[in-house]
Amino acid sequence: MSEISMNTAMESGVEGAAAQPQLRGVHAVRMEAVYKHYGDFTALNEVDLKVAKGEKIVICGPSGSGKSTLIRCINHIEKHDEGLIYVNGTELDRQRTNIDAVRRDTGMVFQSFNLFPHMTTLENCILAPMTVNGMAKAEAKELAMHFLTKVRIPDQAEKFPGQLSGGQQQRVAIARALCMRPKIMLFDEPTSALDPEMVKEVLETMKKLAEEGMTMLCVTHEMGFAREVADRIVFMNEGKVVEQAVPEEFFSHPKSERARAFLDQIIH
Amino acid sequence: MSHFSPTAAVNYFFNYFLMKGVLVTIGLTVAAVIGGLILGMGIALMRMSSSPVLSGASRFYIWFFRGTPLLIQLVVIYSGLPQLGIKFSVITCALVGLILNEAAYLAEIVRSGFMAVSAGQREAAWALSLSPWTTFRRVTLPQAFRLMIPPLGNSINSLLKATSLASVISVEELMRRSDMLMQEHFQILEVYAAATAYYLILTSVWDAVQRRLEKHFGRSSAAKSRRVAARAPVAQASVEARA
Ligand SMILES: Nc1ncnc2c1ncn2[C@@H]1O[C@H](COP(=O)(O)OP(=O)(O)OP(=O)(O)O)[C@@H](O)[C@H]1O
Ligand SMILES: [Mg+2]
Repeated sequence: MSEISMNTAMESGVEGAAAQPQLRGVHAVRMEAVYKHYGDFTALNEVDLKVAKGEKIVICGPSGSGKSTLIRCINHIEKHDEGLIYVNGTELDRQRTNIDAVRRDTGMVFQSFNLFPHMTTLENCILAPMTVNGMAKAEAKELAMHFLTKVRIPDQAEKFPGQLSGGQQQRVAIARALCMRPKIMLFDEPTSALDPEMVKEVLETMKKLAEEGMTMLCVTHEMGFAREVADRIVFMNEGKVVEQAVPEEFFSHPKSERARAFLDQIIH
Repeated sequence: MSHFSPTAAVNYFFNYFLMKGVLVTIGLTVAAVIGGLILGMGIALMRMSSSPVLSGASRFYIWFFRGTPLLIQLVVIYSGLPQLGIKFSVITCALVGLILNEAAYLAEIVRSGFMAVSAGQREAAWALSLSPWTTFRRVTLPQAFRLMIPPLGNSINSLLKATSLASVISVEELMRRSDMLMQEHFQILEVYAAATAYYLILTSVWDAVQRRLEKHFGRSSAAKSRRVAARAPVAQASVEARA
């Protein structure tokens, strides 16, 4: 509550006079001085990050820099050790109700799809709407078919994940997440496990989602996608957010030495 | 009596007294599987819990019952406990012994089944806001169960044969009744041929059931589950012959 009013007061100037006046200033995601440790190792080191509603963020950086950890802290799949994380104004403070609220607001897509292999595509999609939202089966199926159509695989509804290609599986995973009508989508290297010819179909799906105004945080090394879709690139190194910039600036004038080295490496 | 009489063997096979022993063997097995699964599930959950007391207790239990012969366990329960004033009927003793012993084996099978379900499955369930109970019942359990069927089947096969040890504490199951017939008529080979046939029939029937179960639960996404199974094999080693 105080979170909302405080932000509105403090940041209304920054955000400009956009629509949704009562929500202006509440960030989709706000992280303040977040730390995450694994034993002695610091995976997130004083991370500050603000993501506005509707914003598309691409997170990149070398392997082990904490990209996955960061994105997984946002829906509390990893528990941060210190600092504050707010998602749509709800603080992730280990209260079950808050964690549930945050998870209901966020959808996640994993590198390895993580579809439930013992369920068909349709069953994968209707499980959460039915068990979490108490939706009737017929309604849930209709909802699932809507999103499966949107990711252009309605014809695969009765198949099991093992019978689908990687690209199809990832699109099912996106549809499954969308069935819970999340406000924020988190992607952790959604195309890294795919054969090159399937990367495009998944990126197309993500672009469509971006065009519809979804707030997106996306860990990816697809720099073409980043250029085209991202509002901002967040570059991480050794658990820190080293640099944030609009794609144009990040790609042509990276500020840090580390980012330059990273870009040299992935663009060749 | 210097030859083997097939007719006598066939007669023993259809001996009503022996058949009733077969029923007792089946009853012991079924009861021990059900009891062992319930207890074993609890012990597996304890073993996987984050509480060091619970997981320690469960580890001790498994270590103890897998580390001692079933025969000794049965004899102690039957003849040892009365010394402490604890006395059960013969059949109860056999059931208690078999269930306690079976639970230790099944707990390890259940646990390795759950361990073999990848963490990503649980994470996907959490990300979808599924409750812990729904995650368990709809996501983890069905996948773990599918991985458990082969070792579970092997364990039940050896349990079926291990019930013969109950004969030592005078439970009149198939083995005991074979002994009794043998001592009455001294047609050793004939009597045990009939008993052997029964054990073979029982284990073969169970094999067929197990294959059915594997096929039934493996029907979905066969390719994927094979990959999962190959990456994280359920500890076959936990199924050892006992007795
Ligand atoms: N469960 C864990 N236990 C111990 N260390 C971990 C754990 N998870 C991650 N780490 C470590 O934290 C660091 C950051 O991991 P993270 O997965 O966030 O990196 P990443 O930027 O996503 O890398 P990649 O590009 O390889 O996916 C790594 O050094 C990793 O080894
Ligand atoms: Mg990662």
